[in-house]
Amino acid sequence: MWGSDSDSRDAKQGRDGKGKHDVSISDATVAVSDELAARDDMIVCREVDKWFGDFQALSGISATIKEQEIVVVLGPSGSGKSTWIRCINRLEVHQSGQIIVDGIELSNDLRNIEKIRSEVGMVFQQFNLFPHLTVMDNITLAPIWVRRKSRSEAEEQALALLERVGIPEQAQKFPGQLSGGQQQRVAIARALAMEPRVMLFDEPTSALDPEMIKEVLDVMEELARTGMTMMVVTHEMGFAREVADRIIFMEDGEIVEVGTPEHFFTEPEEERTKLFLSQVL
Amino acid sequence: MNQGDALPTLADKPVIERVATRPVEETYRSPAEWVRKNLFPSPFNSFLTVAFGLFVLLTVRGLLNFVFSEERGWDAVRTNLRLIFTHAYPEEQYVRVWVCVGVMVALAGLSLGLFAARGDGVPLRKISNALVAAAVAVAVGVVLREPSVLIGADGEVVRTDDAVVRQSFADAMSDRWGWWLTAAVLAVIALGLRRVPALGDGSLRTIQAFNLAAIALALPVLSAWIYPWGHYAFAEGEFIAEPGRTVAISTKLPWTVMWVLAVASLLVGRWVRSRIGEQSLSRLRIAVNLVWLAVPFVLYWVVLRDPDLDWARITQVDVPLALAFGVAGGIVLWWLTSDGIGELGRIAALALLGLAAFNWLAAFMGWYPMLQKVRISFLLLAVVALLAHNFSGETQKRRRLLAAWLAIMAVFHYFATIMNTPSTVETPTEALIGGFAVTLVVAVFTLMLSFPLGVLLALARTSRLPIFRVMATSYIEVVRGVPLITILIFFVVILPLFLPANMEISLFASATLGYTLFSAAYLAENVRGGLQSIRRGQYEASDAVGLSTSLRTTFVILPQALRASIPPLVGQVIATFKETSLLAIIGVFDILRMANSVIPAQTQFLGIKREGLLFVSLVYWVFAYTLSKWSQRLERRLGVGER
Repeated sequence: MWGSDSDSRDAKQGRDGKGKHDVSISDATVAVSDELAARDDMIVCREVDKWFGDFQALSGISATIKEQEIVVVLGPSGSGKSTWIRCINRLEVHQSGQIIVDGIELSNDLRNIEKIRSEVGMVFQQFNLFPHLTVMDNITLAPIWVRRKSRSEAEEQALALLERVGIPEQAQKFPGQLSGGQQQRVAIARALAMEPRVMLFDEPTSALDPEMIKEVLDVMEELARTGMTMMVVTHEMGFAREVADRIIFMEDGEIVEVGTPEHFFTEPEEERTKLFLSQVL
Repeated sequence: MNQGDALPTLADKPVIERVATRPVEETYRSPAEWVRKNLFPSPFNSFLTVAFGLFVLLTVRGLLNFVFSEERGWDAVRTNLRLIFTHAYPEEQYVRVWVCVGVMVALAGLSLGLFAARGDGVPLRKISNALVAAAVAVAVGVVLREPSVLIGADGEVVRTDDAVVRQSFADAMSDRWGWWLTAAVLAVIALGLRRVPALGDGSLRTIQAFNLAAIALALPVLSAWIYPWGHYAFAEGEFIAEPGRTVAISTKLPWTVMWVLAVASLLVGRWVRSRIGEQSLSRLRIAVNLVWLAVPFVLYWVVLRDPDLDWARITQVDVPLALAFGVAGGIVLWWLTSDGIGELGRIAALALLGLAAFNWLAAFMGWYPMLQKVRISFLLLAVVALLAHNFSGETQKRRRLLAAWLAIMAVFHYFATIMNTPSTVETPTEALIGGFAVTLVVAVFTLMLSFPLGVLLALARTSRLPIFRVMATSYIEVVRGVPLITILIFFVVILPLFLPANMEISLFASATLGYTLFSAAYLAENVRGGLQSIRRGQYEASDAVGLSTSLRTTFVILPQALRASIPPLVGQVIATFKETSLLAIIGVFDILRMANSVIPAQTQFLGIKREGLLFVSLVYWVFAYTLSKWSQRLERRLGVGER
């Protein structure tokens, strides 16, 4: 089950210099045989399949994302990147295989889904802010009602987060009054307010005007530096090259190639990867 | 395309901003200019204006001839105003009706003062134009109306060969000097307003909309003290018709008080608003809305009915019962919100719901007797218990839930006791009130009950659980397939047969129930439209931040759905208000029945029906139009369509 291809993927990762992964590959393999996943495996996917009717969107996706790792998922549109990332917090339901987040397996059990969702923050392409609530209320809604914080505590935290994403002065505005870049930064703050252990980004800059992309990427980079585990679906090659620890390349619902940015951009092995890179670079 | 083109655009930027900050002042054209530009811009448009203008004039002429004809028996309406509005509510208790009106007026004024935004004001020039238009309309109307018929010495219309004899045109015009005077006064005021100099910076002088409304309402109130409108009444079986004197004190005094109340409460509202911050204001908004919700119950059951309280029973049964539920329920809720109760809490809440449901089953089966309010209390406790897990953890939140529970129990038991106490106000008819009051009461209670029901039905219909979906869908489809009048008759005739032996239901209550169930089905469809307009991303974002289904529905989905469905919802509100006229058919003495059968049956006004019906239509229209205007305001304020 813990197939050889996963091992080889693990071998490909582990960029030196960051020193995030202190567990060697063999240790991880041993630990998994006892538990659901190794202690520092944040997301583990094993042979995940997903169909939309007759169309197979994901086929046999297996991958592991370690704590504090930044993984960027690349691939042409329609390759299943978004579907995969949405399966991880159960916005889509996979039909077979295992998805384990922070040691909790995603199943139909409602409590597991709730637990995982409160550990996983998600940022969407279309921001999906709540248009009838102010920025402040957007951020504090879940901390107050799900995390059961007091209002003053939640507002204090929200202000700190807004400060972090660079727009503390917009707290009392409504999403409709903000620019796209500002809205996406509010969305990041909203996800962070739940103090997640993993952040999922589903094409966070694809709906933005070019001049606003940078402000969002800057926030994401800053987040990466603080040691957040991140999984990012994006078309921003610059971001992938600079920030990612590992790049996963997908096509037709399958993982085609996995590697460090260096490896991926300079010496890709697979023909499909080369073709993709020749089109986007 | 070249660089040189791009640079000046950047330099122009400040200019663009200056234009954007303030829209160009609207210019007010003179009436003559307006007429030329809008009515006669081209030959064809001039033809259309003339043709349809003639059509409108003929229609208005017909209406004027009808309304102002000497043959009309407007005394039938004038003397029966009290009957039309409240039916047989006793005269010596009439102050209660005025208290009700006063409470509504004061609350409305307070709400406006507190929450309504101060607009830019109405420009004096605009008012002046409106007055000119009014003066022209009055003058045209005077000329348009055919000369009056002659009344002979016997008080009968003079006829020759079956045709009525009319005044000469010149006589008619000079007889209508009062109307000419009115037109002249309006024109003089209009011209006077025009001479008010503009402000220093050249902008138009304006008047606040509220001040304008206060002045406009002051005029009729003031005229009641000065102008001889005449005194007409129907009291103790006697018809009083005394033209040539001012309105009776029992009419003009209350209306003056109402005017003072409206203005005073508005000023108080504004004063409070200027004193408090934004946060206290939003808290106050919640409080005022709660008062609005409670007001119909208090006014109808406490003020109008004046319940005959049985203090012995209250101290021995009612108060202990409320206390018992408050304390015992409080303990249960405190336990349910304690830390780490987890799954056990949900099971306990479900068990409570089962117990509550069983109590109702037992009631219909007649297994064990129990006060109705005990059953409802159990149900309320079960509902609150199901929601309790949202309040667990922090002591402050638990205390709040506890306070809310005690408040619910206090309010519910208070009203349950009041409603079960007989009234001290005695009327000759079975019902306490009739006429327009019953229209309002049934409409208000129908809306208050059908709104939550409709929202629940809409949620059930869009639920993932098939049982809810099927139940809601079949309910909605059944109700929408049956005419309202059928439902009403069904409820009035058949519902009493289904009730347990010791339960009675009044005509009012069963009719309101019928209206509620009918209206809820339509409201549900409107709300469902709103629910479907919400994008999937909103659900996904709520899921992603970990909101449960109930939290997601309460804080994210419903607020947006309701906002999106305001226009059809208000349409339904207006429809319900107008449909209360069907009460006349099932035997309630509502306003329509007054005009259609009660007044024409009075010996003095035998067969006089048309005047009453016209007046009733006017009353309905005024209220429906006000509602519609209010909904437009609401839509603008909540920004529907610009999400």
